[in-house]
Amino acid sequence: MLIVPTGDIVRRSRGNPIITIEDVSFRVADICTAGAIKLDGDYILLITIQSLEGLAAIYPARSRDGYTFTVSDTPILEPAREGPAAAYTHLGVMDARITCHEGTYYILYDAVGRHGYRLAIARTEDFTTAESLGFISEPDTKGGGLFPKKIKGKFARIERPWHGGSIWLSYSDDLKYWGWSEVVMTPRGGFWDTSRIGVATPPMEIDEGWLIIYYGVKETSAGPLFRLGAAVLDAEDPSVVKFRTNIPILSPREEYERIGDVPNLVFSCGAILERNGEVKLYYGASNSCVCIGTTSVDAILTACQESDKEF
Amino acid sequence: MPYRLGRDIFHRWEGNPALSLEDIPFRCNTVFNGTTVKFGDEYLILLRVEGQQGYSFFALGRSKDGLHFTVEDEPVMLPAREGPWERYESQGIEDPRATLIDGSYYVMYTACGDNGFRIALAKTEDFHHFERVALVSEPGNKDGVLFPERINGQYVRLDRPIGMDVGSIWISYSNDLHAWGDSKVLITPRGGYWDSYRIGASVPPIRTDEGWLEIYHGVKMTSSGPIYRAGTVLLDLDDPSKVIARCGVPLLSPREEYERVGDVGNVVFACGAIIEPGGTIKMYYGAADTCICVATATMEAVMEWTLNHPG
Repeated sequence: MLIVPTGDIVRRSRGNPIITIEDVSFRVADICTAGAIKLDGDYILLITIQSLEGLAAIYPARSRDGYTFTVSDTPILEPAREGPAAAYTHLGVMDARITCHEGTYYILYDAVGRHGYRLAIARTEDFTTAESLGFISEPDTKGGGLFPKKIKGKFARIERPWHGGSIWLSYSDDLKYWGWSEVVMTPRGGFWDTSRIGVATPPMEIDEGWLIIYYGVKETSAGPLFRLGAAVLDAEDPSVVKFRTNIPILSPREEYERIGDVPNLVFSCGAILERNGEVKLYYGASNSCVCIGTTSVDAILTACQESDKEF
Repeated sequence: MPYRLGRDIFHRWEGNPALSLEDIPFRCNTVFNGTTVKFGDEYLILLRVEGQQGYSFFALGRSKDGLHFTVEDEPVMLPAREGPWERYESQGIEDPRATLIDGSYYVMYTACGDNGFRIALAKTEDFHHFERVALVSEPGNKDGVLFPERINGQYVRLDRPIGMDVGSIWISYSNDLHAWGDSKVLITPRGGYWDSYRIGASVPPIRTDEGWLEIYHGVKMTSSGPIYRAGTVLLDLDDPSKVIARCGVPLLSPREEYERVGDVGNVVFACGAIIEPGGTIKMYYGAADTCICVATATMEAVMEWTLNHPG
């Protein structure tokens, strides 16, 4: 029995953490978080690894069962040292979020250079190498998730511009020029997501609309608390929030979530929606390891719809 | 009448301030940051007026000589109070910059809403009726200026996002004025200089034989607050992401009492300029966020300083 019941809607695997710096064949500073996709029955993670120098790069990891992963020692995306991209990526690339858009695999990730964070996009077929398609946001926008289908005839992404700490939505005809940006969800005063929120997983299609898992931050006198919540966006117009959990679906509680380089943090970039409705949620804990928790679409929807219940 | 030489490259009009609170036919707090066009046989200035409530909107001034303006009795553009723009303009509209392209005037301005400020674009034929075209930036971006012609078939704008806490001038491109991309850094603050803290576009770019002349604002932070000055940069006509020259010194600095004293002291902030047939440039600037002033120079002097005084 792998699953330990807890008070959270997402149940942690007893085998957590599933990837630590001990599972990598080279010396690293930190293992932060993972994007996830299922490809021909294989589970693939794109994990953010911080080098000892402090620069982040993105490495693929593979698994047959979704729990035991082999991490590649070759990055799929790494900081550019020279050329026109260097100014925007020389301090690192991180937080890959994978979307299969009508048969093509796209990776949205954060690039960091001397001018701030920006969203970048790449395309891959084998999850070993990726073709960069450029930078798609203004600076200080991070956490982008591409929708797996066009909406209103356009590509769409959810994202987290720094200014205002809210989740936004943008559209594009060609993945290169973006506009029609609008705000989707904002922090809620007094709640667990009171200080700022951002995209965790790319949108997942369910009967009720688009399921997203997002992170919410509450600032405390000892630093931020990063938790995960869920929301369902309207299928036709994802700027409309149909449901949003009043409570987090996962909060830092275990030692590996409480202790690390960035303590009290659970932060996800990817989940796998299995055919039977199970959600495998991959998340980084304390910016130091990768963990897995499971839940179901039904459990999340129940949590969403019971949003008004206080106890 | 001798005027004190050597203080600034721009010469202040002796009638300054050209417009102040007393010239506005309705009750308001301040008038500043106006953009100017020659319209028929008149000069029009689209003014940022801050109402006594505290948020800003636009009024229109008219003049025969570009110096003496009469302000119309009613504002010409108010923040949207309904529809999809309402939430993005709920805290006012600010800092208009007018550009004539293909026979129509486009006004880029800052829309301020509950989720932050962003750049908006409106179109007008008469400066009385404004059609809102698009909200063209993500949140946290302002000081947008549109080039007065398409370059290589594309619309081009300069803007001022905040990246990594540094305010630099960026350049972005669009095929349709709605979706924007290819964004990159144009110029950054210069350590130790008058523009060491933050910079942003001010006047819409002016075509000259040598290149696009951009009058921008530079900020130096001091222990008692920021000092806003005006400087110049010259960009390649065919590829405006290429900097040909950047002046090492400001062409106008706050010195007079109306620039030193006001709601935001020590500010000169230009949003418009007109080149007269004889080669004189009239620059219109807000002083101390409290009044509108005019300063003049010969284009010859502006270009000579821009090209030959890198600091």
